[in-house]
Amino acid sequence: MRTLFPTIPVYSGLVVGALALMLILRLIARRFEWIMPWYYILPAIVFLLTFTFFPVILTVVLAFTDYAGIRNGQLNIGSETRVLEVDGNRLTIEKPRTFDCADLRNGCRNVRAVLYASGTLEVAAETLEGTVLTLAAPPPAGRRIESVELFLPDLGFGFGSTVLKVNGKEVTLDKAPPFPPQLEAVTLFLDRQALNRTMAGDEGNLITLKTPLPPGFEAVAIARYNDFGWIGLRNFRTIITQASSALLPVFSWNLSFALLTIIINTAFGVLIAVLLNNPALRFRALYRTLLIIPWALPNIITIQVWRGFLNQNFGAINRLLMLFDLTPNPIDWLGNPWAAKGAVLLVNLWLGLPFMMVATLGALSAIPRELYEAARIDGANAWQSFRGVTAPLLRTALIPIILTGFAFNFNNFNIIFLLTDGGPPVDWGTATARGTDILISWAYNEAFRSQGGLAYGLGSAISIMIFVITLAVSLMNFRVTGALREESNT
Amino acid sequence: MTRGYLQILGVLAAAIIILTLLITTTPPAVSEGRFLVIPFGWLRLLAGFLVAVSAVSSSAYLYGRVKRPARAGQYALTAGTHLFIWSCILLTFYPVFFLLGVSFNRNDSITSPLPREGNALVRSGVLPNPADLSTVQYHKVLSETHILWYQWIIIALLAVAVLGLMTAAWAKRSGADPYRLERLQRLLGWTVFLACAALIVSITPGQFFSYNEAGERVPGSSERMIILYIRNTLLVSGTTGLFAVLISTTAGYAFARMRFEGRYQTLLTFVFVQMFPSFMTLVAIFYLMSYLDLINTFTGLILAYSGGAIAFASWIFKGYLESISPSLEEAAMVDGATRWGAFFRIILPISIPMLLFIFLLQFIGTYSEFILANTLLVGQEHWTVGIGLRNFTSGRFNTQWGALAASAVLGSLPILLIFYTFQDALTGQYQAGGVKG
Repeated sequence: MRTLFPTIPVYSGLVVGALALMLILRLIARRFEWIMPWYYILPAIVFLLTFTFFPVILTVVLAFTDYAGIRNGQLNIGSETRVLEVDGNRLTIEKPRTFDCADLRNGCRNVRAVLYASGTLEVAAETLEGTVLTLAAPPPAGRRIESVELFLPDLGFGFGSTVLKVNGKEVTLDKAPPFPPQLEAVTLFLDRQALNRTMAGDEGNLITLKTPLPPGFEAVAIARYNDFGWIGLRNFRTIITQASSALLPVFSWNLSFALLTIIINTAFGVLIAVLLNNPALRFRALYRTLLIIPWALPNIITIQVWRGFLNQNFGAINRLLMLFDLTPNPIDWLGNPWAAKGAVLLVNLWLGLPFMMVATLGALSAIPRELYEAARIDGANAWQSFRGVTAPLLRTALIPIILTGFAFNFNNFNIIFLLTDGGPPVDWGTATARGTDILISWAYNEAFRSQGGLAYGLGSAISIMIFVITLAVSLMNFRVTGALREESNT
Repeated sequence: MTRGYLQILGVLAAAIIILTLLITTTPPAVSEGRFLVIPFGWLRLLAGFLVAVSAVSSSAYLYGRVKRPARAGQYALTAGTHLFIWSCILLTFYPVFFLLGVSFNRNDSITSPLPREGNALVRSGVLPNPADLSTVQYHKVLSETHILWYQWIIIALLAVAVLGLMTAAWAKRSGADPYRLERLQRLLGWTVFLACAALIVSITPGQFFSYNEAGERVPGSSERMIILYIRNTLLVSGTTGLFAVLISTTAGYAFARMRFEGRYQTLLTFVFVQMFPSFMTLVAIFYLMSYLDLINTFTGLILAYSGGAIAFASWIFKGYLESISPSLEEAAMVDGATRWGAFFRIILPISIPMLLFIFLLQFIGTYSEFILANTLLVGQEHWTVGIGLRNFTSGRFNTQWGALAASAVLGSLPILLIFYTFQDALTGQYQAGGVKG
């Protein structure tokens, strides 16, 4: 596609492919009836395969590579250096330091390189009539002659002219030289020709290619690609060696953050929901509507505003606490690792309470009123009917909600990244795993921030660990809710 | 009877006297560095709260003893509940109120000195200073937004349609002909939707500029483009929501109504895939999008979001269809409709509330997404609201506090309006327990 229509973007391939697919599918459906249900699912499957399933597989693959900002598979233009000598498949380069094989994993073995052919060619010409220069031999095939330089002996310097047309040996110049030129040695300026080769190794300023250059290709310069490749379990080994400074603190905070958040939010959510569930309570619809406001505001905005409220010297929270003498000194919410953890939990309570409240109200409304009636007839008071009726029925209804909330908060990137930015830095941590970093923000720091060295491969390796944990929680959720058990019976 | 009411009056009067005493005997707040401190203020706060609780519940108890002596305790409990919930509402609303206060404040800097006038709450900076009330922050963040003439027409149309909708809702409540009103409401609803869509599509980055000293147009600064960020976010969220609905309805229908080889396995795969939020495969998506040349385009972001949305949406839609009886479609098919015809003419119209729910859920979720947008969108003209605000908080946060607050309020408005307009559709699904996992 690219070579046929160089101007169109790559993704138009997707559009053309989809159209062609539709046509073929209609034809197939006439032939095979049973395929019909799949047509209903196909768009979803195509999307899932491309943008969810394929990335999951790719993440697993990349976790075993050293894909990184400096090894991103692109051509490294800065590595270009001159080729001094070519001997079969061995090249002598001018500046090994610039070419920088030492920066790569195994030197330059198995790394791709681009070789540039000579840009100038000395040839002999036969005649010059007007602006038409006839060469002694045809110029190399496939190369474009951009300009020609003729030496004018009468003046003692060269005369350059761009080339309008090349026809066999005849080259039409832009303008004729004012004096007769020297025809024995004419310099042709050719377009730069590039050739891809894979390197077999390097030693000092000597580069070995896997396959020799074709005859007639005079390499003058070479640049290498920022290739990445397999490194086996090295990413995982890096994670394990950093266990005490990154993996363990981050994981334990991640776990306790998710657990504490869900415990605190559930406790408050259930309390308020039970109070609001009383049908005799006036204004309960209004209260619900009012209490829901943190859910109705986009958290991407409110979390960032909370950053201002939690400012140590000028934030509203510290002003309030100080005014009522609740704290002797202003709390450094975002600068002290423990206070930052408290701040995350506090803001997450504010954000998550409405959801827990609404979900609990839903669970409560599923409890039949008759049970309360029966309890009242049996002489139970409010507390007894809560313990005897509400609590046990609520527990079963809340477990899936709690597990979903746990899985969500376990990977709650927004609150960590936007509120504390993973910070503050701590003595026992690393530049990428700081006071409030959770696994997903740690992975993000490794992969997309300068302090992590844009180590995409390492980020993927951390993501895989999160996969495993998320999978475990979700499977537990399905076991509890039995959502899939019903399916397998049908 | 009158004795009961007198007792209530007595309790309330006593409470008011104690509260007044608590407030008036408060020692003057002392200044401690950047803060104002009332020594042992928490003791007074606690005492005041306890007095209020006991006054409210005991007067409710006395009132109950007059009305229904057997349930007087219930009355006291209910009054206490109200007070507790109001405290919760107060705490929940304090940040929202404060944000509004900052956005309508003349001072832009978070470090601006505390006011010297007013009561202790204002002087300590806990409440915004009413003397500084001003709309200057909004003027500032909107100053480089230039709206074209036809966009004004769309806005006017939008305003008329919204007013019409509100009038219709009011007329419906006061008992006008519901059938004719419903048609009008549908028409107005579509007008609002189409006007919003037209507005979102028609806004371009070129409309954000200012003039330098020489009178030349220069591109707007990144802190004055909140309208563009909102437009970008709405465009991305809206398209993602539509995509999720379009693609997941057929899949959900097939899973719910058709029995075929491989159904369970496919369903299992969907559930499995849905467990992984797309940002977890961030690196791979980044790689895929750079391969497809879709870095820094809305298309790339929308595709990435949709991929994560479809499995979940299909799962919900399947659950919804299973809860409604298939007899309608079966009747249609007996009358000669094809499978597709039954789906298109029968199922889709009756599941509009569910489709709306899927759309809104996706829309609101996408609006608040940060990590993918931040990774895939590099150019400032493509930023979403979250990235635009992040530019404030990570950059010149201290000096732009007011502008940040004004931008935050503007950026929250679309979701706030949508959320409260469709509140029942959105929270009702959780209430009914229709959404699991």
